[in-house]
Amino acid sequence: MNRKIAIAGYRMKAASDLVTTRERLTFELTRGLFDDLGIDRDHVGTTIFATNDFLDGRTISNVFLDPPAGVYMRDESKVEMDGLSALVYACMRILSGQYETALLVAFGLCGSQVSPYLHVEYTLNPTYDRQLGLLNELSAAGLQARSFLNKFGYSEDLLDEIAARNLRNAALNRDQARGIKDASAKDIKDSSYLYEPLRELHTYPATDGGCAVLLASETKAKELTDKPVWILGMGQSIESYYLGERNLYESRSTREASGRAYAMAGIDKPEAEVDFAEVSSLFAQQEPILTEALGLYGPGDAEKAYAGDNGIAGSLPVNPSGGPLGAHPICATGLFRLNEAIKQLRGEAGKNQVKKAEIGVVHGQDGVCAQQNTVVVLGI
Amino acid sequence: MRNVGIIGIGYTPVFVSKRKDVNIAEMISEAVEDCFANTGLGPDDIDAMVFGNMHTFEGVNMPHLWAADYIASLGKPVMRIATGGTTGMSAIHAAYYHIASGLHDVVMVVCFEKQSEGDSQVGLMGIVTPEIMAMLQAGIDISGSSGMGALAGGSAGAISFQASSYLARSGAGIEHIDGMAALERRNAAKNPYAHLKDANATAESVARTALISYPIRFGHICPTSDGATVAILASEEKAAELADGAAWIHGLANCASDASAGNILEGVITDPAEQMPCQLAAKQAFERAGIKDPKKEIDCVEIYNGFAHQTLMFLEKLGMCEVGEAHKLLDAGELEINGRCPVNASGGVVSTNAIGTSAMNRVTECALQILGQAGEHQVEKDVHKALSHGWGGLMQYVTITVLADKPRKG
Repeated sequence: MNRKIAIAGYRMKAASDLVTTRERLTFELTRGLFDDLGIDRDHVGTTIFATNDFLDGRTISNVFLDPPAGVYMRDESKVEMDGLSALVYACMRILSGQYETALLVAFGLCGSQVSPYLHVEYTLNPTYDRQLGLLNELSAAGLQARSFLNKFGYSEDLLDEIAARNLRNAALNRDQARGIKDASAKDIKDSSYLYEPLRELHTYPATDGGCAVLLASETKAKELTDKPVWILGMGQSIESYYLGERNLYESRSTREASGRAYAMAGIDKPEAEVDFAEVSSLFAQQEPILTEALGLYGPGDAEKAYAGDNGIAGSLPVNPSGGPLGAHPICATGLFRLNEAIKQLRGEAGKNQVKKAEIGVVHGQDGVCAQQNTVVVLGI
Repeated sequence: MRNVGIIGIGYTPVFVSKRKDVNIAEMISEAVEDCFANTGLGPDDIDAMVFGNMHTFEGVNMPHLWAADYIASLGKPVMRIATGGTTGMSAIHAAYYHIASGLHDVVMVVCFEKQSEGDSQVGLMGIVTPEIMAMLQAGIDISGSSGMGALAGGSAGAISFQASSYLARSGAGIEHIDGMAALERRNAAKNPYAHLKDANATAESVARTALISYPIRFGHICPTSDGATVAILASEEKAAELADGAAWIHGLANCASDASAGNILEGVITDPAEQMPCQLAAKQAFERAGIKDPKKEIDCVEIYNGFAHQTLMFLEKLGMCEVGEAHKLLDAGELEINGRCPVNASGGVVSTNAIGTSAMNRVTECALQILGQAGEHQVEKDVHKALSHGWGGLMQYVTITVLADKPRKG
């Protein structure tokens, strides 16, 4: 990267029902962020939205966000993907030298207004896959979970362990929409199957939520905050739409994306150099699949990892925040991971704080079984 | 800043009302293959991709996921951009920043719309339906422009307010809209990728078409098209290595205003013909491109005109002529392909409108003019600098790109 970029500040909000409108939420997040930083809209060079017309229930949904985000008579664009991809675009705009600051606004009101699963159902080939009704986000996740368990010879107990860990962590984190205090594997097993072996509590909750993030060039960031968090590397990749073309027990495109991000950040041995990870694992099995693809744990290491290493107090914590099993506001989830990583790097994560936080990796995804992935490396 | 140029363009073989022989992903792949064939490049030359369309028109959410296998994108960074009517140009802008940032060197932009898969006007009404429902619930009079837009059937209803306002302010008459539409239909007849073509169109023949919503006639309105457009953008070093020539991006800008068409409770209605975002974006793009007098320095223009009066209206907003002057240029024949200020030599959006591509085609058509590759619709004068304009959102979102035949200096 030809210039350094930092995250100067963020605001985030999630609940199962926020009892709000998209415009109101956008205004509260943006205004709150501006107040945190002591700025107004004149300090914002460019704005990138990460929202989805399908979820928002209206065509060209970004245009109604222009006034509440302070973009009236200004420049904005929309990345209709997970927010972490919008962050990549915002960084590009700053790196080009055209802008010094960029505002990101991302949200999904999927808890109160629309079924979150429809969003993925409508990405499917409309002639065959969608109309047959066999393939959907949950059935595909069930196949992925089975493929993962079979490949490494794990029992379903592992999924329960992963979910229990995340929901326990989420209960400690006030920015999550769902958490279960002292959740045990038995609590998870008591929830019903959606698509065997996938149970209800292995799955993300329908969530209302959003966030606003301000990125800034080095000079600007130092004016705006004493605790800048630097973007060290970014990478993206996509793989086949067809599940039959993919090995569902691994994430090839996450591996490609993280390879690019680590190369940019100058990281050769992620398992040794990265201190913690926040990954968009929408279903329990995705957490070990993604951390393996991020080069943090080896294939087949999951049982060992969940015995201790990747907990909040472990040597390489994964989703100390509780991850997307605590909240999945579609389009904002990748940026929620980013914000959770910022908390860790600034030492502001409270009960979720890990011991050592100097370099963190965050991940966002789109599509069925994480077809498309974005990885960002952060540091202080 | 790094220089970025357009080094290759590809289209689907035709832009027509219904492509029944291919599905969405197959149709997009045709344009990708055409672009590779035109440039002699292949998937290995591409570092990253930008993808765009308006998914409410086909009912396929994030279609780049489904199309991934068809567009040579596997293993690459792909960014999906969606800003409404301007999506195609917003995607070009995203590709520009991919390269200008230094993160990538060669980026492919893929935009499409297959409007025969759905109902575009239903998709467009989705913009204002939530407003209308809220207004009805609160017992508010919905005779304002956003209300009429929905009630009169999507964009044609809303746009008649704009056209009336434009006519009143400019002194032009409905016959000028007829004349502008006829000019573009004639230009379209020279463009193999245009949809509605009529080599013999005249103002009189357009005037005989039905009045839809005063002053908009059927002959003033864009079609709904199926089609895809692909472009390859490259850094200066890569362009020298991979291509014989390039159309260089000198300036780009976009601007959005308030989406509500006025606050009816307070009796304030936004004049839809004011188009302040267009004026601001053009000013900024010209500044960035180092253009002081667009009237003298710009050689040809491609305007996003879903409706024929917009060609004239936006010429004024872009600063290509004075307010109230555009229809006089039309009368003087200066907007023709062989005129002093050729506009929409391609036939414009009013002749071809696969919406995801519409704003992108303004840029690719300007690039073809600069490269001298526009074929039968190549304008007569030499083209050194060209201006492309995209319009969309809820009539309040504008994108501008200025292209030139040489890389930007300094």
